[in-house]
Amino acid sequence: MMRIRHSLATCAALAALLLGGCGQKAAQPIVVASVSDVSSLDPHLLDVNHPTGSVIWSLFDSLVRRGADGADLPRLASSWERVDDLTWRFHLRTDVKFQDGSPFTAQDVKFSFDRMNVSPFNALQQLWQQTTLKQVTVIDAHTVTLTTEKPATTMLYWLEEAFIAPQAYYSAHDESWLNTHPMGSGPYRFVEWIPGDHVTLTANPTYFGGAPPLRDIEFKVVPDLNARLNGLATADIDLALNLTPDTLAQANTSHARGVTVLGLRKLHFGIAQHSTLAALRDPRVRRALNYAVDVPTMIRTLLHGSTVPLTSVVNPPNNNPALKPYGYHPELARQLLAEAGFAQGFDLDVDFTPMWGQDKDIAETVAGYLNAVGIRTHLHADEWSDFKNHLSHQSFNGIFYAGWAALINPAVELVIFTCNQEDNASGYCDPKYDDLVHAANTNFDPVSRKAQIEAAEATVWNDAYWIFLWRDPEYAGISSRINYTLRGDDYVEMYTATPRPP
Amino acid sequence: MLSAVTNRLARAFLVLLAVSFLTFIIGHDSGDPVLLLARGDATAAQKQELRHSLGLDRPVMAQYRSYLENALQGNLGESYRQHLPVTRLIALRLPASLLLAATAFVLAMALALLSGMLCVVYRDGVLDKALAGLAVLGQVVPGFWLGLVLVLIFAVHLRLLPVSGAGGIQHLILPALTLALPTFGRMSRLVRAGILDVLGADYIRTARAKGLPERDVLLGHALKNALLPLVTQAGLELGDMVGNAFIIEIVFAWPGIGRMTVEAIQQRDFLVAQGCVLVIGTGFVLINLGVDLVYAAIDPRVRARA
Repeated sequence: MMRIRHSLATCAALAALLLGGCGQKAAQPIVVASVSDVSSLDPHLLDVNHPTGSVIWSLFDSLVRRGADGADLPRLASSWERVDDLTWRFHLRTDVKFQDGSPFTAQDVKFSFDRMNVSPFNALQQLWQQTTLKQVTVIDAHTVTLTTEKPATTMLYWLEEAFIAPQAYYSAHDESWLNTHPMGSGPYRFVEWIPGDHVTLTANPTYFGGAPPLRDIEFKVVPDLNARLNGLATADIDLALNLTPDTLAQANTSHARGVTVLGLRKLHFGIAQHSTLAALRDPRVRRALNYAVDVPTMIRTLLHGSTVPLTSVVNPPNNNPALKPYGYHPELARQLLAEAGFAQGFDLDVDFTPMWGQDKDIAETVAGYLNAVGIRTHLHADEWSDFKNHLSHQSFNGIFYAGWAALINPAVELVIFTCNQEDNASGYCDPKYDDLVHAANTNFDPVSRKAQIEAAEATVWNDAYWIFLWRDPEYAGISSRINYTLRGDDYVEMYTATPRPP
Repeated sequence: MLSAVTNRLARAFLVLLAVSFLTFIIGHDSGDPVLLLARGDATAAQKQELRHSLGLDRPVMAQYRSYLENALQGNLGESYRQHLPVTRLIALRLPASLLLAATAFVLAMALALLSGMLCVVYRDGVLDKALAGLAVLGQVVPGFWLGLVLVLIFAVHLRLLPVSGAGGIQHLILPALTLALPTFGRMSRLVRAGILDVLGADYIRTARAKGLPERDVLLGHALKNALLPLVTQAGLELGDMVGNAFIIEIVFAWPGIGRMTVEAIQQRDFLVAQGCVLVIGTGFVLINLGVDLVYAAIDPRVRARA
């Protein structure tokens, strides 16, 4: 009898242990589940928009904030003006304190920007290179001027990714300490980082913009798609990122809902110009490739109608409104191929890699459409580092599935086709196009700048520099504990999320 | 005995040297980490500068030599991607992996012994057949699938256990069970066959003739003698678990070294991948060493040979 009672007690204790977690849901932090971990917590080693960028945006502030629609909004700078074509003046907020209580001043701005210009930070931070920044000058405690070599129309854009670190703290510690002990002025304070598992943040009660509504946030690494979906279903995860069109419906449970946002990244097939295939250098052939692919049907079937076809290499609202999708015209494609002397078709390599959504399905479908107009395709599934190697060495020989520029900034979006540019994986080089893009990038007159941008867009579109597909949609699951609107550029701003009443 | 151990240790060191060299060369040949580290819009000069600061522009053998020198002093370098010491990353992850492997191993062995003996006692009966079926199932069902099914049943539908991650004992149950099942399957069959094999031996007949109760015959005589092949297999199984853990750790988001290895390889974070493989390799070598020693302890013939 004694024995039975003893084992009953053991069972009860075991059950209590097993079910122990259940009662604690209320105190649980808001959990954001991502595929990968942050790479660093140093604001000047920001490498990707998410998760590293999302955490840095929470812990630090930039002078200018980038709205989800690309708008330039005040952040640490309350206002700014262009003194002349080469000089910008920024007026800083006077009520900002870093999380250790020290005041934020212009000296911290100069310190941070100068830090971004030295190795290893300058391989990741593009402020100096992209804006031709020459000098940062402290005018007084709350005014700073930036001097550039050339007129920098994208100054505000790059400042939005230039985060301000307190000089005293960042010069007192070494790099490896700072890598794991971030301290800024942002809406959240750092709590802990267990590499490969999670980063925890808590609301900054003294934030100049007021403490964010959600107190504790955990950025958790959950690499497996099913694990993210299951976590959403059991209310262990509040924001599950990187779902897929075919799993999105599974996110709709009593605890959560699946959402789609029209991303800003432009999915396309690059067309190698340095290829041994002369055909790819003929604009008629490139147009034929576009006419041969039924983009609307692919969007409807493969992506469940969650996106729209591209109409330019430049995102709205800066796109050239005169440009229209090519549409599906296989007969026209055959005719153009014949005109170009390829009535019998040609052999074409099609490369893809898992970096971009549904790579295999999309590459196979496009290959099928091209086969239908007489092009003999050969599919190659590449490992990401091989693919990236091909991208940076311009060594693809056919077409390759890729995404470009999840941002709203025509200067950056158009630069991919300029001669000798690092991202120019297809190897286009047309001096007239370069002149247009460079003129636009140094032109502060909005009207003539718009005309230059639209002319450059028309060249890319009409000469069919890519096989144009669609804007990369993002799929996520959001729990019923929070309200949050996803951005199109992958950054996750949990300080804009709010609790949702039950 | 002592010379046998030093001999084995020397061989183990050579194996680890070979492992470190191979992982270094393979990692090195498979892609440039700078291309994955730098942002797309970094210039060639900036990439070169980064390559230089990471020491990646030196000759491969020179890089390997300094890697080895540092490794011997307990410094496995710094992660390219996360800028953290590799030893620290491993120290963060290793306990979780050891906990998972140890739990799964103990679970598998205990269940296998129990089930094997039940099968012997009730051989050819319904229970024997049912347990045989379970064992076969354990061997053939792939771990990643089983893991997902268990999560669906116990975490998503019944809500008894957490979906993933590490924390309390409740987090350990599903991954340990998933990891244990294939080992349980193989081991329980071996236990059954091993015991049945020795049951025909003369000393068992003697033991029974002495009038020993059947329980003592089974536990004291049959099991002890059937143990030797089981120890070898158990060592292999422990090695196998390390391999299976790579998948299980990903499915359950278990913060172990297997998941870290896979992620490091995907991100071309050579030094982390090398460090993990080195630690896992050391584990393998130690397991083998341990198996040999246990062998010597339980089999006088092995002891005499050594």
